Amino acid sequence: MDLGPFETDNSVSCRLASQIPDVCKVEDCCLGIDEAGRGPVLGPMVYGICFCPVSNKKDLKDLKVADSKTLREAEREDLFQKLDEASDFVGWALQILSPNTISTSMLQRTKYNLNALSHDTAIGLVQYALDSGVQLKEVYVDTVGPAEKYEEKLSKLFPDIEVTVRPKADSLFPIVSAASICAKVARDRVVKGWNFAEDMGEVDADYGSGYPNDPKTKAWLLKFLDPVFGYPQFVRFSWSTAQTLMDSKAVTVHWDDDEEDGEKAAQRQHNRSMLSFLSASTGGNDQNSTHQTHRFLTERRLKSLSTL
Amino acid sequence: MASMKKRAPREQNDSWVVIAADSVVDTHETDSEPAFVRLRNPSTDATCLYMLGAGDVQLYEVKAFEEDFHSWFVGQTVQRDGRLLFITPMDPLYLMLPYLNKAGKEGKFQPVDQIVMDEEFPACSRLLSCTHSLASLHHIAEEKEVGSLKFHRYSQEKTMSWLKKKVERTVVALRKKNISVGEGVKSTTYVRVKSEYQEEDYLRYAHGLISEYISEDLSKALLKHLQLPELTSPKETEPPSKKRKLSDKPVEAGDDYTKFNSVDFSRKPPKKMTAAQKTLAKADKTGMKTMSSFFSPKVKAEKK
Repeated sequence: MDLGPFETDNSVSCRLASQIPDVCKVEDCCLGIDEAGRGPVLGPMVYGICFCPVSNKKDLKDLKVADSKTLREAEREDLFQKLDEASDFVGWALQILSPNTISTSMLQRTKYNLNALSHDTAIGLVQYALDSGVQLKEVYVDTVGPAEKYEEKLSKLFPDIEVTVRPKADSLFPIVSAASICAKVARDRVVKGWNFAEDMGEVDADYGSGYPNDPKTKAWLLKFLDPVFGYPQFVRFSWSTAQTLMDSKAVTVHWDDDEEDGEKAAQRQHNRSMLSFLSASTGGNDQNSTHQTHRFLTERRLKSLSTL
Repeated sequence: MASMKKRAPREQNDSWVVIAADSVVDTHETDSEPAFVRLRNPSTDATCLYMLGAGDVQLYEVKAFEEDFHSWFVGQTVQRDGRLLFITPMDPLYLMLPYLNKAGKEGKFQPVDQIVMDEEFPACSRLLSCTHSLASLHHIAEEKEVGSLKFHRYSQEKTMSWLKKKVERTVVALRKKNISVGEGVKSTTYVRVKSEYQEEDYLRYAHGLISEYISEDLSKALLKHLQLPELTSPKETEPPSKKRKLSDKPVEAGDDYTKFNSVDFSRKPPKKMTAAQKTLAKADKTGMKTMSSFFSPKVKAEKK
């Protein structure tokens, strides 16, 4: 697995893929989808697909692939090695969603949540397999959100494929287990060797599992909080763990889609407060109130100053 | 979760982001530095910030681009104040005009250094040292020379023709810069394909701009001088008051709402959402399970 393409720019989403085995282009194939790194506040989320001819399902079982969560890291690396060696009939592809991609998606003006991002990534990978000429007949997916809805969505998009969405699919179908191993191995490697784009001096890489409840991760987040910028791109800003820390420890930043309450907000939106209609409408007690600045200036947000 | 953010009051800065012509900082052969001065704004009569170039040879006006939610990154620092200051050349005559206008009411010829005086804004006498100040006084005042002394008296007629020229030159500039001058155009970025503006649109717009630099009385006089009729458009800021038309007929209800008034009569007003609920309302929840779905009895996973 060559992580080079991602490591040259780890701020964006990146696809890595194996060669497409020739048999996959002629024989009916099955495909499994799974993801790694959904929960952590640190590092990327990796989506993996694995595919092989339906007739090779048994060979996959013989490799003893199992749910990646039940395996130790060394075992996963070992199994990935075996999968990669079986390249005459097993193919894989990965989509690495950088933490920065996750942050910017979830925090943009039109919110794009993790479920939607996950679904779209999975769909993108299935499409990639189809575009590469893999003869897909069966797709197995570990669910994200309600299984029935997800299954319906995928079946509609890929009408010629039999789609099976199940919770815990990674322990039910070997092809999904294989996909989960690919994803998990990729994530582990990326997190371990993270290239910080930021100049942070001596970065201490002891950030634990990256999950919000890991004390090591929490300590690391506290230590590397910059009052102005918050965190390096390694951190998912959209996670409430990160947000809470920034709210309490960093400088307050106001965006124009922040919600504000009350009189001041109304004034900002150039609404008139209800009260202004009720108060005596004398007007003109203020010297400036009679003068209306010309629209050339107001349209350009230009104003005169009395002090600096 | 997202707590209400409190805005700290604007703090005093000791630095600004400024766009200014090179001439502003050019201190050619004088010892003095360019300086900000406070002078009377001829249009609003209020204190306003201007700048005098080195040696008081040139007057500049100071305008600030100011919008909410802006900050600067300057070098290795962050500046909370996201303003952008523009320092642009200005005709000092505009600032002297109110003083001459006021003195002109006495109808006497006076030395200009006695006219342009203001206890509140002592810096105004420095306007007289600007390169063209004295030379351009004849645009707005009659001149009399007695020996080596010069005396001036405000002339409305001269002022009007001077201002008219200003308007005409502004029109030229507006055309050249393709400024949208028509009524009803709200956005500066919206550019019409065909320029369909009438000469009057331009004149009116230019008059409005020039009025930023003269008193309201002069603005009205100028409008007349330009032979533009006063617009009698309703004020934008105040919506027309809705008053029920009076009629002699007895008042009757238009609709009968009583038949729906039963149980629902004491319906509760909508509750105000908490900050957390608001944040949740903003989130993209597509494809997510509802909380209640975790508690309802399990539906058999069979499908057909």
